[in-house]
This record gives sequence, C-alpha cells and structure tokens, in this order.
Amino acid sequence: MIAPLATPRGWCAELRLGFAPRAGATRLVERRQRGPLVVQRPFLPGDGSCHCYLLHPPGGVVGGDELTIEVDAAPASAVLLTTPGATKFYRSAGAWARVTQRLSVAAGASLEWLPQENILFPGAQLQMGTTLALAEGARFIGWEILCAGRPAAQEQFTQGQAQIGLRIERAGRVLLRERLRLDATLLAAATGLRGHPASATLVVTPADPAALALARAALGPTPAEVAAATLVDGLLLVRWLGQDAEAARRCLLPVWEALRPAIIGLPALRPRIWST
Amino acid sequence: MDNPTALVRLLQLTSPSLPVGGFTYSQGLEWAVEAGWVGDEASLAGWLRELLLEQLARVDLPLLERLYQAAARADRAAFDHWNHELIACRESAELRAEERARGRAMALLVLELIPTAAAWREPLRASQLGGFALAAAHWQIPLPELLTGYAWSWLENLVLAGVKLVPLGQSAGQRLLLRLGGELPRAVAEAQALPDEEIGASAPAAAIASALHEGQYTRLFRS
Repeated sequence: MIAPLATPRGWCAELRLGFAPRAGATRLVERRQRGPLVVQRPFLPGDGSCHCYLLHPPGGVVGGDELTIEVDAAPASAVLLTTPGATKFYRSAGAWARVTQRLSVAAGASLEWLPQENILFPGAQLQMGTTLALAEGARFIGWEILCAGRPAAQEQFTQGQAQIGLRIERAGRVLLRERLRLDATLLAAATGLRGHPASATLVVTPADPAALALARAALGPTPAEVAAATLVDGLLLVRWLGQDAEAARRCLLPVWEALRPAIIGLPALRPRIWST
Repeated sequence: MDNPTALVRLLQLTSPSLPVGGFTYSQGLEWAVEAGWVGDEASLAGWLRELLLEQLARVDLPLLERLYQAAARADRAAFDHWNHELIACRESAELRAEERARGRAMALLVLELIPTAAAWREPLRASQLGGFALAAAHWQIPLPELLTGYAWSWLENLVLAGVKLVPLGQSAGQRLLLRLGGELPRAVAEAQALPDEEIGASAPAAAIASALHEGQYTRLFRS
C-alpha cells in the first residue's frame, strides 16, 4: 500500500515465520531469514501457545534499509510475538527506510502482536506498511507504539517524516484502512497528535459490545493522556496519545489483560521477556 | 460546465435542504468543544482546516471521484470496492454509523428522483458518498465542480455545527466559510492528484474525539 521509492543504499532484511500446532503445542515450523533480522529460539509457556521474540538489527535502521516481516499462523495455532527492545530509526540524509509487515491468521488460530515501540530519531524518514489478513474465525490482539523524537534527550521531531499504513482484512474484505502521515505539523495539529510525542493503537478482533465495555473499564480515566476505544464492524480499536512508550504500555497492558481470556482463550500472563 | 442544468443539479445536491440530516452530525466536534479543544473562532478554523486537508482531501474527495467514475461506467464491482474502502477509512463507530445512516436516507431520495437507479438499491444504501456519486454521474455534473460542491456542503454543515456549539455569532460563521472556502480548490487539487494506494488518512485526536463522543452524556449531535 506504499508507493515504491528509490533506496540508493542500505541492506535488505527479510524474515518469514510459519507457526502450526504439533504434538499439543504451537511450534515454529518454518523460518526463512535473510539479513540482520532474526528470531530467538521460541519459548513454550506450557499452555499450548508459542512465544517468539523478534530481534531487529541491533544498530537500528537507517534510510535505504528495507525490512520485510511475514508471519503466518496456521489453523489452531496460538502465537505471541514481541521484541526485547525498541526499534530505532535514525536520521536520514534523504533516503527512506521501508518496513513491510504482513500478518496472516488462519481460521481458529490466534496471533498476539505486541512489539516494543518504534522510535523515530529527528530527521528519520520511514515508510511502514502493515497488513493484517484474517481468515473468518481468526483471533488477533496487537498494538503498534510510535515515539517521535527523543523528548528525554531534548530531541524533538522537528524534521523527518513517517508514513504509516495499516490495512486490516477479514476473509478478503477490508475492515480498516489508515494512513498516518507523521511530521512536525501533524505532531502539533489539533486533530493530529496535539503535541504528544508518542501514539499507540491497539487492535482486538473479533470483538463485541461486551469486549468494548471491558476495554473502556480497563482504560479508566486517563487524565495525563488521551485515549478512547471504539468498536467498528467487529474490530475493537483503542487509540492513545501521550508522553512515552512506558505510559502507552501502562495504559494498554490492562486492556490486553482484560481481553486476553475472552479473545485468545488464555489467562493474562505477561511474557517473561518484558520483566527482564 | 457545458451542460446548463448541471450547475442547478449540483446546487440541489449540495443544498442544506437535502433531506439526509447533515445538520445532525458534528463528527466529534461536539466532544472537542466540551473538552475545551475547540473554544473560539480561531481554534474552530484550525480544527476544520486540518480535517479538510487530511480527511476530505485524502479520503472523501478521492473516493467520491472513484465512485462517480464507477457509477458513470455502470461498473458495480468497482462501486462496491470503493464503498468498502470508504467505510474502512471511517475511524470510529459513530463515523461509520453516520455514513451508513446518511447513505440510507440518500438512497431513498436517489431512487425517488432517478427511477433507473433501482438496480443499485443495495450498494446505494452502503454510504452517502455513493448516492451522491451516482446522482452526480446521472446528471452529468463535471468532476472538479462535484468535488468542490461536496466539500462545500461538508464545510457548511460543520461550520454551522461549530457556530452552535462554541457558540459563535452568525458573522463569525460567515467569516469562517469565506476563509476556509478559499482552501477548497487546494483540497480538490490534492484529491485529484492522489494515486489509489495513497488514499487514506489518520487524524488520531479527531478519531479519539469521535470515539469519546459515543459516551458523551449530553449531546445535541448524532456524531
């Protein structure tokens, strides 16, 4: 969904992961990787699911780099994917960094996509497109957290831009189409980020009014930040604006914990890697 | 416009008297006023200008163009496709309900005025934009004028909602229409230059305002 642009230099990294149930537990049954994008040995927490940790290039991403991540959850698999650390996008001399993510979830499968935040350094140029392809009966909880600039280091995102596309389909029918064009103007805009350097979106499906009520109760009052949940055609969306990724997780983790049992069918147990 | 009646048809289609209830929707503005995000003429102008250049120029207007072309070719598959993409671009439950409710009202009207549209009854009910596009194609209203007219009627509705909510005087409303109306040609030009894959927008705070409006205790507007 993002127009191709010249990438004069930089490396290409690809990671394709396939998950399927084998002998009572979901396993990583297919792994194809190229370049500095790797996955740690999966962890099986013993509830039938598979926890898997993606490692982005340790040095971060620069203009001209291209990352492709494809995840395929086969029928009846239960997968939780996260990352041990934030992904950093550095200042670019002009070339775009490109990230393409395609997450496919089969009927009866569940995928939880809970990566740490993407950090845009001042001057970064990022094109990121995520497609979530759900079969009828597929279950999904996921978020993306985006931090523009590094306010703690007194570095505002006064230059640079990110184009972030999100497309969600169920059984081939489009459910959500969003295209965020983040730059200094949108950061300050009254209808944009209203001066908040961090933003996040949580997606939960299949969701009903009961799930919406659970999400709204878990959100509670959020005085220092702005957040809201809405239910569109079976898709629960929670949008959040605030100061940093920690605050985003403080707001969204209780929503994940409230909904995980109903949506995924597993108790809300935080992945071990988050507490290290 | 070569066709002398096209302008008259466009004026009818964009009139506030069109019975689709345009004046009952604020698209989150009512919550933004209650929260203090919009509180005077300047902040209302800023809010609407941003939505004009983001949502209208990158979602409504380019999709209206594609729906219009699909209707003019009688290409039902393309019409359905862009209708689905339109609903997927609406960021909250209320914004989707608004598009669909106005669509049903618009469908009744179009079927009344244009009997040959009967075969399109179902797709017409899916969105207001679709009915607008089909009527405009039938009456051969040229595209740039159609997009400008649609954007004008959107702007007029929301300026009137803002004048009521903030509240502002009638002359403030007219100043806003004069000032923001001057931005319409730019929004239309940007919309007409947008390739398919770049259609789509995101206005996070406006989407949050709309989602919070769903639970707002006292409301004058349906969105």
